[in-house]
Amino acid sequence: MSQNSPKLPFWAVDRWIDKLSILLFFGVWELLPKAGGLLETFIAPPSVVVRTLGDLLESGEIFGHIGVSLGRAASGFTAAASIAIPLGFLLGSSFRTFERVVNPPLRFLGQVNPFSLFPLFILLFGIGELSKGAMIFWVCIWPILFNTINGVKGIDPLLVKSARSMGTGIVTLFFKVILPAAAPGIFNGLKMGSGTAFFMLIAAEMIGASRGLGWLVWNAQTNFQIPQMFAATVVISVLGLLLQNLFTLLERLLLGWRENAVH
Amino acid sequence: MENAGIEGSREFLLVREEPLRSTPPVLAQPVALASGTARVRGYGLLSLLNDRLIDYYGMVLLLVLWEAAPRLGWIDTQFFPPPSLIAREGAKLVASGELLVHIGVSLQRTLQGLACAISLAVPLGFIMAGWFPRLTKFLTPLLRLLGQINAFSLFPLFVLFFGIGELAKFSIIFWSCLWPVLFTTIAGVKQVEPLLIKVSRSMGSGRLTVFLKVLLPGALPSIFTGIRVGANVAFLMLIAAEMIGASTGLGWLIHNSSVNYVIPRLYLAAVLIALLGMSLNYLIHWVESRVVTWKQEVSVA
Repeated sequence: MSQNSPKLPFWAVDRWIDKLSILLFFGVWELLPKAGGLLETFIAPPSVVVRTLGDLLESGEIFGHIGVSLGRAASGFTAAASIAIPLGFLLGSSFRTFERVVNPPLRFLGQVNPFSLFPLFILLFGIGELSKGAMIFWVCIWPILFNTINGVKGIDPLLVKSARSMGTGIVTLFFKVILPAAAPGIFNGLKMGSGTAFFMLIAAEMIGASRGLGWLVWNAQTNFQIPQMFAATVVISVLGLLLQNLFTLLERLLLGWRENAVH
Repeated sequence: MENAGIEGSREFLLVREEPLRSTPPVLAQPVALASGTARVRGYGLLSLLNDRLIDYYGMVLLLVLWEAAPRLGWIDTQFFPPPSLIAREGAKLVASGELLVHIGVSLQRTLQGLACAISLAVPLGFIMAGWFPRLTKFLTPLLRLLGQINAFSLFPLFVLFFGIGELAKFSIIFWSCLWPVLFTTIAGVKQVEPLLIKVSRSMGSGRLTVFLKVLLPGALPSIFTGIRVGANVAFLMLIAAEMIGASTGLGWLIHNSSVNYVIPRLYLAAVLIALLGMSLNYLIHWVESRVVTWKQEVSVA
């Protein structure tokens, strides 16, 4: 987002013209099933979707599903972060040669398609919460780890040296120099990790779960409840967007000093 | 790394520290870098060899550990078969000819989806960004929204529309590829220096020349980034799609192996998928290096 261009006044068409396209899309979506036939069976217009959403919200069951999904994602994510960040610090700063040795196999493991490991996780941990948590953990840990390592590696040694030359103790050094310098990289990893985690979570829930948003979509599809399916998809998309925006907001709050803050 | 001032001064300091290289590099003492990759210290050919091979030590160590651990009973052989077993299983499948069929099918699906997405997204991106900039600005939020929809949550929808057949798989790969390539194409065209276009126009080049000689080369690096992202996503979705509804392909192989409890085959398929993904990435890199010859190499540690 450019910081220099002033915002157009409220009444200027150009300011709202891009939001108009979304409205247009919803309009088309509403009218398309009226064309009849195949489209009518398979596409639920927004009015029906909103009504279904309303029903789901009223009955309160959707909150249960949202809670379950978010809980799974959050637990896997925090577990991955709490291991990957310290490990990344260690590998990036102290054990350089070890890191260089260990990097290729880690990179290889990180590239292994998480879907291919999913049956393995189910076999190891059973069709329960643990397998899904393990899946999210696996998916999150690689971007966070690699980004932390890169973030730590990229710390300007001059900063560390000047802080040391002014006699800072190691604790102050860590919290005032190393952590903020590595923070953008770490945050980037966390952002990527959260996006992938949510993505994989939905996939994992579709394949083997009995609750959660992914399960809701799949279940609606098997039972041919098109409006529910659309409603669940909408909820998933909205949640995904919210999550991303949350991270962007956090980034702006915590890392506001970055000169070229990406959004 | 953001502050150019300190970065500049660090470069300056580094230049000061390094002695003038009058001795041949092999015999000169390698300077340990302050940040980035750790170099192996020491003189001579052996240390240089060590420095080159060190990248492979890790993989070798991993393989050795993986081979030894189940045999020594550290981990359960059932769930973690040693590579020798996996290789044997692989040889069996190659002999029966199945493996090549699966690999071929998976690869074909990915490439089909990728090719179709590219052949739609790149021209569309050029047309949108080049000829209809206002329309593009109008449509961007909508397209951004569509591109962010979890491709996986659309999968049941595609299955409903197209049935569990090739078309559903193709459509989901096509969908997942389309957005990154389209966005990067539009971004690539937009960031072509308008001065270059004006200069070429002022020298009297027609539209086609401007397109072929200015726009296309200018946008190509960005397009390739999008292709790479698209290929990765496509491959990911392919495996998932094959796991759910297919009867051939590497994804199906994994699903089948897990259902029939043939664990070595599961690992084999997983490793093959990883290797295939990496080689696809490498292929795109190679094509890029051939086509976009003017791009400066940015080395990442």
